[in-house]
Amino acid sequence: MEFNIDDLPVLFPYPRIYPEQYAYMCDLKKTLDAGGHCVLEMPSGTGKTVTLLSLIVAYQQHYPEHRKLIYCSRTMSEIEKALVELKELMKFRAQRLGREEEFRGLGLTSRKNLCLHPSVKREKSGSVVDARCRSLTAGFVKEKKEKGEDVDVCIYHDNLDLLEPHNLIPNGVWTLDGLLRYGEQRKQCPYFTARRMMQFCNVIIYSYHYLLDPKIAERVSKDLSKDCIVVFDEAHNIDNVCIESLSTDITEDSLRRATRGAQNLEAKINDMRDSDEKKLQDEYEKLVEGLRGADEGRQEDAFMSNPVLPDDLLKEAVPGNIRRAEHFVSFLRRFIEYLKTRMKVRQVISETPESFLTHLKEYTFIEKKPLRFCAERLTSLVRTLELTNIEDYQPLQEVATFATLVATYEKGFLLILEPYESDTAEVPNPVLHFTCLDAAIAIKPVFERFSSVVITSGTISPLEMYPKMLGFNTVVQESYSMTLARKSFLPMIVTRGSDQASISTSFQVRNEPSVVRNYGSLLTEFARITPDGMVVFFPSYLYMESIISMWQGMGILDEVWKHKLILVETPDAQETSLALETYRTACCKGRGAVMLCVARGKVSEGIDFDHHYGRTVLCIGVPFQYTESRILKARLEFLRETYRIRENDFLSFDAMRHAAQCLGRVLRGKDDYGIMVLADRRFQKKRAQLPKWINQALLDADTNLSTDMAVSAARRFLKVIAQPFPTSAQEGVSIWTKADLAAHQEKMAHELILELQAQQAAAQNAPRVVEERPDSDYEMDDDDEAAMMELGA
Amino acid sequence: MSRSPMVCTDDMCPVCKTIRYLNKDMEFLINPECYHSMCSNCVNRLFNDGPNQCPYAGCHRTLRRKGFRSAFFGDLSVEREVDIRRRVAAVFNQAEDDFETLRDYNNYLQMVEDLTFDLVSGNEGKRRNAEAQLQQWEASHKAEIERNRKAGREADEQARRRLTAEKEAARQRRLDAIREAEEEKRERLMSREAELDNMAAPEGQRVQLKRRGQTSRVETAMNTAMATADVGKLSIRGLKEKKKAPAPEGPYDPFGGMDFVPSRYKLGEGLSHPQIEKYRYDPGHTTGGYDFDEYTARVMFEAFAGMGVFIEDEKEVGIGLSASQVASIGAGIAAVGDKMELD
Repeated sequence: MEFNIDDLPVLFPYPRIYPEQYAYMCDLKKTLDAGGHCVLEMPSGTGKTVTLLSLIVAYQQHYPEHRKLIYCSRTMSEIEKALVELKELMKFRAQRLGREEEFRGLGLTSRKNLCLHPSVKREKSGSVVDARCRSLTAGFVKEKKEKGEDVDVCIYHDNLDLLEPHNLIPNGVWTLDGLLRYGEQRKQCPYFTARRMMQFCNVIIYSYHYLLDPKIAERVSKDLSKDCIVVFDEAHNIDNVCIESLSTDITEDSLRRATRGAQNLEAKINDMRDSDEKKLQDEYEKLVEGLRGADEGRQEDAFMSNPVLPDDLLKEAVPGNIRRAEHFVSFLRRFIEYLKTRMKVRQVISETPESFLTHLKEYTFIEKKPLRFCAERLTSLVRTLELTNIEDYQPLQEVATFATLVATYEKGFLLILEPYESDTAEVPNPVLHFTCLDAAIAIKPVFERFSSVVITSGTISPLEMYPKMLGFNTVVQESYSMTLARKSFLPMIVTRGSDQASISTSFQVRNEPSVVRNYGSLLTEFARITPDGMVVFFPSYLYMESIISMWQGMGILDEVWKHKLILVETPDAQETSLALETYRTACCKGRGAVMLCVARGKVSEGIDFDHHYGRTVLCIGVPFQYTESRILKARLEFLRETYRIRENDFLSFDAMRHAAQCLGRVLRGKDDYGIMVLADRRFQKKRAQLPKWINQALLDADTNLSTDMAVSAARRFLKVIAQPFPTSAQEGVSIWTKADLAAHQEKMAHELILELQAQQAAAQNAPRVVEERPDSDYEMDDDDEAAMMELGA
Repeated sequence: MSRSPMVCTDDMCPVCKTIRYLNKDMEFLINPECYHSMCSNCVNRLFNDGPNQCPYAGCHRTLRRKGFRSAFFGDLSVEREVDIRRRVAAVFNQAEDDFETLRDYNNYLQMVEDLTFDLVSGNEGKRRNAEAQLQQWEASHKAEIERNRKAGREADEQARRRLTAEKEAARQRRLDAIREAEEEKRERLMSREAELDNMAAPEGQRVQLKRRGQTSRVETAMNTAMATADVGKLSIRGLKEKKKAPAPEGPYDPFGGMDFVPSRYKLGEGLSHPQIEKYRYDPGHTTGGYDFDEYTARVMFEAFAGMGVFIEDEKEVGIGLSASQVASIGAGIAAVGDKMELD
């Protein structure tokens, strides 16, 4: 389908378009034209990704600036999906335009997913793959090889050097799979191909972390130009990603291993002093001069990069007391010992970085400034020593990261020491959390650097919360509703059981037998009437376990068992994926199944239950966070003091975005249908916080139902919706053909004209005065001039 | 000082071999003479009757009961290092603002670090050298050390005060928030009750409840926040200000640099007019101190005196227009403004 938005020709790879997709494109274009940020909410399953891509690619190709697109998504599967969409789009464009465009689109993910080296790729953990890869591809390894020494190298990586550096891979869109295949064919490393080609790409698709986590962003995304268009898709959790990227945890075990790392480091230094004194001396000289090797920090083989945001880096020479390698190691050891001593305390401590530093200085004479340089100094030392088994130094790196962060940031951070895992635990297992409380810190550089940032998701309500929390201003802030030819989903709020007793998972009543029984009967009733698959979400694993065991005692599970298979999500990813597989099979075979999951678990975020895989979603209880967590408490207090967001507002906002995310699981397109049940008394008041598209479909009559009423409404709904419904009935209403679109555009243009005319008419009332004033001014000037002429003559 | 960084087994006393299983609250003590750790029972047993030799084999130091204390660090070599650092830091206590360039400061830091390192892990000769250097520095920089110590103490004191003030303010704010929330809850309850009452009462007597005092409370909260922000002024200590050579003094200027050269015209030499030419040599006008050019200068000044002042600007807008005209102008402007926004 081909159409114009203002002057921009858009090629859309499907023969029909949804009205909300068109509206989305218009707003997106407005944002890009104005050069600002925007927050857009579009219902899940309405083709957000393809809409975004087709508009932005059209924008890129039409205007001479060719602004690059950086598309950030959350999970690997979403990245792959977006790449496939992009590939389809480009194929369509080529077909339509009759030529291949000069275009390159690449996805980037971690080394673990893109490695081809026969032994390295077999490693399980990502950090081990990273470390081993570095030890094979570091600059000094190559130097050694050239000198004729016998060292291991990666042939895939070295082959890249034989190619032209700006043309490692031909034009086109490369999915991750395709990239791997191409790499295998040509024997070249897919990871480094993608990394190095990033500057020459039109579209880059990668994970949030490459842009938000300063440890990676500095290396990967530094060269991207200012006019890039940045898109954060599925961004409803973006604040948590920001916070995680600047937080670290330190455990006793990691300290122990860090000590070992420091000892190894010391031994290496002594070795090197005996064998190759000159290298140490060189490093020392360089540090004295305050020289940083040209772009040293962001070489792709660097051991680690600075965890601090680029704005907060101190650009000066390394302090004198850690310039010598042995001084630095003793410095590190002192710091680690200090942390160990702090960990011995058996009560919870929460303190600000400032008071931590004061205490540290008092006991170890470690000043703030050298601490700030810790990460940088360690990187330099590791490079000088040419260490190869980098994974041994991982814990040391963690400690150095922590040191640098704690010495750099005073505001918006907190140190929390928790000696026990839970309140009832007897055996201490201390963890030192260094938590970031302010999501705006990590994302600030992104907003400052790039002119257009688009934040979008299926559930990002209330929209104004995000600009507030992340500290930015928007040009456009819009939530689209879903246009439907018939009511294809039925949201309901169930507040009472059949016996009229109110149901809620609030802490006081959640284990009362009547509440549990009412939830149980709700489950059995819906299991009876729902065809095929059904998904149930609980607020937490703990509650799910306890309620399931109580249901077992009441015989409720047996009742459900008659209608459906019961499957349960567990924290273990493998078990869960097995359960999902079984669930899918049961739905396909017609047996039907119930999936019991947790509202903040893996299933609630990434798994789609489209069509018969999910006909009912039942959200038992408001999925509040665990409010006793000290980190959460600290963050709430920070939000209240800094952004004036009240505790309860934030908690309920957070709970509702997860609830909405759960509800969105079952509706993945316009031909899909499903029932959404929110089962808690408290949902009634939180209705306004649901996304617009759900809220609009929620009738007032359906907000305070008892179980039996809900069941009869659902039965009625299912009866109607199960009738055959031809696609042609949707055309013109919820699906537009080209003619419909043209009609709509004409209508909009007509409306615009009418509006303008109305304005003109309004302006006509007082046009004379407005126009005369400037005229009279000019006339006076003319007179003056004439008078002057006369005088002159 | 025999250095044997005894791996501190946290569960057995190396002297009497008691294990923690038998004595739950066993406490280990060290003496900074030799850093050998032993349990408090052993310390009492051995040193209650005055000074005695260290019970470790090969260690012949005489220890006193008074010197024993519990170690802060688990690793005793670090404990010892920190003790030495404490001593060094008391002498080498210069701060960044005592130096003119960063490089000097860094060199100083390295010098101190080298010295400390020698003291901690150097051999006998190096240690003695370092010790001598330390003493020499102390002797030669006595006044400076004292001054810096005082400054450091003051800074510490200030920092501590600021911290406590901040903590107090945070506590206060938390209390305020709780109170606010409670008040709101109560108000909500009250308004609901009032609504119910209204429903019971005959209609037409709806009372609007207003939230009073809300704004003022927020304001006071803001004020306290502001006040706490400048409790202990932030003391930023950077490098010392560089000594600059004083700028050379120019000739004395009675007007302090004010410029009297006219900007709109230029006074040429020998301006004249036939009418006044005769006065140039008239003794009545050329009395002492009077310069004839002053006259032309003043004439020029007066001629240009009004330039650049526009009476139109001074006038208030709308003078001479009737009220209705003004209103229609306003409407016109508003209409145009609307249109621009919509476009």
